[in-house]
Amino acid sequence: MIFRRIPCFALLLALLSFVLAPLATAQDDDEVVVRVGLHAAEKNLNPFIVPQALPLTHDFTMLVYDTLFWSQSRIDPEPWLATGAEASDDFRVWTVSLRDDVVWHDGAPFTAEDVAFTYQYFADDGGPGRYGHHIYDHPVLESATVIDDTTVELRFEDPVSTFMMLPGGDAPILPKHVWEGIEDPRADATSLPVGTGPYVMVEYNPGTSYRLEANPDYFLGPPLVDTLIMPVVRDSQAAFAGLQTGELDFVTRNLPAPLVSRVQDNDELEVITGSRMQSLYLMFNTRKPILREPAVRKAMSMALDLQSIVDIVEGGLGRPGNDTWTHPDSPWAHPAGGHTFDAAAANALLDEAGYPMDGDVRRGPGGAALEFTLLVNAAAPPQIRSGELVAEQLSAIGVDVTVEPLDAPAITAARRPGPDGPPSVEMFIAVFESHAHADPDHLFFFFHTPGRGVGGIFSGYSNPEFDAVLDSALGVSVPEKQVLIGQAQEIFAAEAPAVVLYYPDGRWGYRPGAYDGWISDPGHGVFTKRSFLAPYASGAAPSATPEGEVRAGAGEEGAASADSDDSADSAEPGESAESESDISGDASQDDSQPADSMDDDSTDDGAMTEEDADTDVAETDQAETSGDADSAATAAAEGDGASVQPASDGEDSADDDDGAATVVTTVVVLAVIAAIAAFAVRRRRGQQGTVED
Amino acid sequence: MDSRAPSKTEPEPGSASQQRARSTRLLRLGSQYAAVVLAALIVNFALPRLAPGDPADYLVPPESGSVDDAARQSMLERFDLDGSAWQQFGSYLGNLARGDFGISVRDGRAVSEVVGDRLGWSLLLVGAAVATSTALGVLLGFAAGWRRGSRRDVSLLAGVLAVDALPAFFVGLMLLLVFSVQLEWLPVYGAVSPEALTGWAWIVDVAKRLVMPAVTLTLVGLGSVFVVARSAMISELSEDYVFMARAKGLSDRGVRRHAARNAMIPVSTVALLGFSTLVGAATVVESVFSYPGLGSLAFDAVRARDYPVLQAVFLLLSLIAVAANLLADLLYPVLDPRVRRSGS
Repeated sequence: MIFRRIPCFALLLALLSFVLAPLATAQDDDEVVVRVGLHAAEKNLNPFIVPQALPLTHDFTMLVYDTLFWSQSRIDPEPWLATGAEASDDFRVWTVSLRDDVVWHDGAPFTAEDVAFTYQYFADDGGPGRYGHHIYDHPVLESATVIDDTTVELRFEDPVSTFMMLPGGDAPILPKHVWEGIEDPRADATSLPVGTGPYVMVEYNPGTSYRLEANPDYFLGPPLVDTLIMPVVRDSQAAFAGLQTGELDFVTRNLPAPLVSRVQDNDELEVITGSRMQSLYLMFNTRKPILREPAVRKAMSMALDLQSIVDIVEGGLGRPGNDTWTHPDSPWAHPAGGHTFDAAAANALLDEAGYPMDGDVRRGPGGAALEFTLLVNAAAPPQIRSGELVAEQLSAIGVDVTVEPLDAPAITAARRPGPDGPPSVEMFIAVFESHAHADPDHLFFFFHTPGRGVGGIFSGYSNPEFDAVLDSALGVSVPEKQVLIGQAQEIFAAEAPAVVLYYPDGRWGYRPGAYDGWISDPGHGVFTKRSFLAPYASGAAPSATPEGEVRAGAGEEGAASADSDDSADSAEPGESAESESDISGDASQDDSQPADSMDDDSTDDGAMTEEDADTDVAETDQAETSGDADSAATAAAEGDGASVQPASDGEDSADDDDGAATVVTTVVVLAVIAAIAAFAVRRRRGQQGTVED
Repeated sequence: MDSRAPSKTEPEPGSASQQRARSTRLLRLGSQYAAVVLAALIVNFALPRLAPGDPADYLVPPESGSVDDAARQSMLERFDLDGSAWQQFGSYLGNLARGDFGISVRDGRAVSEVVGDRLGWSLLLVGAAVATSTALGVLLGFAAGWRRGSRRDVSLLAGVLAVDALPAFFVGLMLLLVFSVQLEWLPVYGAVSPEALTGWAWIVDVAKRLVMPAVTLTLVGLGSVFVVARSAMISELSEDYVFMARAKGLSDRGVRRHAARNAMIPVSTVALLGFSTLVGAATVVESVFSYPGLGSLAFDAVRARDYPVLQAVFLLLSLIAVAANLLADLLYPVLDPRVRRSGS
């Protein structure tokens, strides 16, 4: 009976595995095809729809669309669709001259009409959005007028000295002939976008994959990769497995620390580092009675040993937060930065503020204990771990923090002000991307007294002095603005409405055999349009480059970017522009959207989350020891300046890994064989037994 | 729903009374199922709304600039989510009656289209898993139950339950590491390659990508089938007819054939119900392998508080469960002559 059929099953399986055996995927030799594993599904890049795959949304969008300047993260953005822009003395009127050699993907010529239309359309829509709120909210567009085919005049209600960064370096320019007449720009989430960008989206399977083809008519020359095949691979472990097996050539998620050495050890793979200006921060709801007091917040900030948090949560692959909030790579970073960690001073501050110790916890004048609930995204292990460490470190100064992991929408709900009062949240941890730190007005958006910007949903922080500085910073020239923002940052550091716990490093694994031109464009990471364009892409790209001249000129720039890539240097905003394409920060996430990291769906957080969970498993399994993470950290540190890290350091441990993995495999296979054999023998014996009976 | 309930109280066979009995039975069965479906509708509608947050937070994240209540309201209107709970439930039922499942908050597409995209892959994956877990569970369960308490029984029981206790994501990752990373036999993600494949190549690709998720899900479903098959075999072996068969000298093979056929009856119910539970259990497996099924759709929908999609997916899962149950109810008399003869 059924028992007899085991051999049949075995035979069937054998046949099946035979059929299934050949795995290699064929491809044309001349064509450069790169398979990119996306960490989350994006929609059709409709710029009016909430981003899905933060933090890569903006850079993905910018493969298909272009901006007037590139990019928002640079103090002096490079002209892109524009050839230049002149401001009036009061920075209210910007006259932008445009390229005349640009064509839309559908063949129509790009003109000033498109630019005027785009700005007006974003302004009229007035709906929430990643791009729109830099046009209808601040600054407020008054009018967009076409002067001639290649000149457009944009008039704003407020002075906007940083127009070339925001919105000029940020808002995608849309084709008038496609969007005109569409009343609800959010309705369409499926049709293929028409842009001017280096890539044309030719296929979109909702939730599963995209296919992009090079735009042969791109004004900076056709991009170096002919086809980008981009499947959505949700699981981090699966994505990196795909990278190792050759199914993927690049993975958009950050390489988890424990995998760094393994990827480096693989001859076919390399690791590239870069900055997306990410930050993981702790926000206080300053509308709550005790948290309203700057002394209490500052004391909590001083009690935090941020270096230990980076070391424990990220294996050292990151930088501790600055009390001045802004990411050190941002052009708006405070030159000093730094964090004060001094538990004794924190205790003194609380004693002085009237919160004496009462047993394990401090109590205020009314007997109210310093007890708070800290919300973290349950899908993001780095947030949970950071939260636990914060709770532990704060308990040392008599502040009792309970970490409560919730799903992203529940946290958002807790952060939204209710009908008759402030939001219920007390403290929460979330992640910001570069756009939130490169935006010249980021402090204004997030920390101005609620009513302007979006401060209400963050800390509700309100300080007239701070507001005044930021208000005056809105309408002044760039150098003056930097001074004023520096002042605001000092107030921020003293009052601590929020604390950046750390700035994670960006690092990605890729297959140089498929494409080796990746560069780091600070604020954008490496999966960004410049990585595909001959004037910027690094080294010898596999396909021929268009004009020698362009390439030569460009070489320097590319090199420069690779160098300055990682960070510290970008802190000086004054540097001349061209060479450091890199100062930047990108925009992938807007101010508007930054907290999305909380919205996990959309974000990176979620991604990190899963990543980490998986990573853990992998770690255990392959007998990776913590030593690994260390060596990875060292390697990363060494590789700091250069963007590509050679596989130097991790080798030993990686070998161990491999050994362990092989052992595991062998054991599993042997165990399976043994089990089958034992089963067969037992069955035989059983049958004999019955016969004898 | 107790699948055996209907068989008990039937009167003696007889034309008129049997007819009447049958119609009351069908009526009762029908009303039971209607009540279950209605309850499912209510729960499916209420559950997503009980969670904190709403779709407007997803569509109009509070962070996105100066968003006032009017913007939230207009967003909710677009998805017909602005009325009171009763109004919404009313229009939900009305739309449902017209076959309109609404528009996905996340996707902007018709829910029927979003779900339709995923349904096929889900059925393929779960169908494959149910088939293999049933076959394997029966095979091992009967083998174990044949001699209760023997070494074979104990080791199989321990082995299967141990495998059953392994979390699906862990099994999935192990398979990934062994068969993709180490051996490079199987692809790691998705249901089908993003490259344009046609004909045989497409079929092979789909089959390859199905293997690991289906195996993982098979292991998830294996335990329950095994346990039921084993105990069914044990209880059949203690029946008088087996005693009789042995007494008259029937070979082990013969005895086993008789017992196995009878033991298959409870197994068939478990296998059918397994279909509905595995669709839900597939969520984890689908995320590990980026398989575009209903489970991962529901997971994404929860994170966006995408009520229309959640309602549709939950409804579909409930209907599959109800249908599987109904099928088991109807199949019982067909499979089991004793039930058939006793009246239905």
